[in-house]
Amino acid sequence: MKTNSLIVSGLTRRFGAVVALDDFNLNVAKGELVALLGPSGCGKTTALRIIAGLEKSNTGSVVLNNKDITNDHAHQRNMGMVFQAYSLFPHLSVAENVAFGLKMRKVSKSIREKKIDSILELVGLDHHHKRFAHQLSGGQQQRVALARALVIEPEVLLLDEPLSALDAQVRTNLREEIRRLQLELGTTTLFVTHDQEEAMSISDRVGVMNKGKLEQIDTPDVLYNNPASSFVASFVGNMNKIPTQITDGMVEIFGSNVIALKRGNESGKVHALIRPESIAVIASSGQSHAKVLTRSFMGASSNIVCQTPDGTIVQSLMTSAATGDLHPGSQVQLQVLSKEVLVTNA
Amino acid sequence: MATEMKNLGSKFTLLFAAVFIFFPLYAATEYSLRNGAEKTHDLTAYRWILDQSGFAENLAITARITAVAVVINLLIMVPTVTWLHLSGQRYKRFVEILTIMPLIIPVVALATGAQIAFPSILKNSIYQLSFMYVVIAMPYTYRALDIGLSSHPLATLTQAARSLGATWIRVLTQVIVPTIKPSIYAALFLMVALSLGEYTLAQLLHWSTFPVWVTNVSQQNITGATALSVGSIFFAWVLLFGFTFFGGKNSKTVKEEA
Repeated sequence: MKTNSLIVSGLTRRFGAVVALDDFNLNVAKGELVALLGPSGCGKTTALRIIAGLEKSNTGSVVLNNKDITNDHAHQRNMGMVFQAYSLFPHLSVAENVAFGLKMRKVSKSIREKKIDSILELVGLDHHHKRFAHQLSGGQQQRVALARALVIEPEVLLLDEPLSALDAQVRTNLREEIRRLQLELGTTTLFVTHDQEEAMSISDRVGVMNKGKLEQIDTPDVLYNNPASSFVASFVGNMNKIPTQITDGMVEIFGSNVIALKRGNESGKVHALIRPESIAVIASSGQSHAKVLTRSFMGASSNIVCQTPDGTIVQSLMTSAATGDLHPGSQVQLQVLSKEVLVTNA
Repeated sequence: MATEMKNLGSKFTLLFAAVFIFFPLYAATEYSLRNGAEKTHDLTAYRWILDQSGFAENLAITARITAVAVVINLLIMVPTVTWLHLSGQRYKRFVEILTIMPLIIPVVALATGAQIAFPSILKNSIYQLSFMYVVIAMPYTYRALDIGLSSHPLATLTQAARSLGATWIRVLTQVIVPTIKPSIYAALFLMVALSLGEYTLAQLLHWSTFPVWVTNVSQQNITGATALSVGSIFFAWVLLFGFTFFGGKNSKTVKEEA
């Protein structure tokens, strides 16, 4: 059992009548990367800002390495932070930006220079000391911001959607790099994002937030395969919603009976939630469930989109080898591959 | 065709503006260089200014008033406008209206009102003018700073500095002030220009400053008066270029050594 580095308990934040954060609890273990994932306005950024000390909570506490820092000012908390907006000081060079936090900590010049050199090398900008923010690309600016946050050896690194302003390619590269650095330095990290792929790909654990509440926090695998609520199920990964009916704890989907997994008191008319990879599409000359609308070839796998006679769109992800005879307009049979499906009230 | 017409239009406007500004300036300069007796051009009128008693004293007084005004302006305006941008957003409209007040309230009202309201230490001090000049310059200095602060993501920069361990004082002195330096220079220039040219208040309150002295002296010699105006304009330009150069050069040296 790893020791907890950051313990956040019972945070509530109200803006007038709006509850931005509702009894938020979170433990982050030493060296762990935890992502807070959710749609905009779910409270994830508010949570991060309260942890950083940039905002106050109405109730609750923040404990960092056994020290209660709930009432500490932002500059007293030893945390590094990277923002969504570019935040390099425009009047300082790359090296001076990185030096800023060290100067605030009165680190001597010789040690400062060594640390700056090694952190800039680590983020791949070792020949950019003298550049200014306006001479750097967006990705480079965020790398410098990351170096600036990491060089102070923060007890927690806070990332507030640091990749959202970047191009797709840069975003993917930089997120892998953030993970590499985080593992290399063993920095406890809290990463806020609305991009589920980003969160799932680099985090040890992901907390899914909705309407100011943490709905579920677990490893990406558990979130994907065993979501605690229909919100988590549909927010994490693609999910088919197929209308059906519960009878005796079973639902009938595409002619076969499957066990219904309830998360509440679902009954009567429900939607079955099924992942695309749990649906097989089989070309049929006789009886059919649906018609193929599109087939997108993506290399090893292909995405098949079908439509049933009642208008429901069904997505399936299959190995490309199994989809050779499927074309737009093909009549097909659909088959659920899992023995249980999650259901939610229609 | 339309763009050509537009081009022609803007060229004409530019030419008109240039003539409008530079012709009087040229005429004034030419006139100030005339030597009536000899019917030649020389610096007689300018030499005459320097010969008048009180030139250096009055210029020094105005320089001191200006220096104090600049310091007050910086100490009050920069933190206030910064605060308005960071956390006082809802008061911004109110302060904006407040900063226009000096343009609406007659200077006479300010002079008498302030004279009553000043603490006794300022009532008999010429530096009361510095405080009044800060007020009169507010519509301009506020806007210069406001523009500078609006063109940077100030909230993010501040939060970044805070999270890196900077106290509020350090955020202000090491992040915000250097970031908006050009706007601060602009505000300073406006402050200096106003202070160097302000006549009404000083005259009303019976203080002898450089503009008051200029007005008195110029009544004796029309060529000398013209020379004074031309000299003031060129001095203001020198100041303006000085500030721009100083500001620009400063950021360049940082770039080179960094």
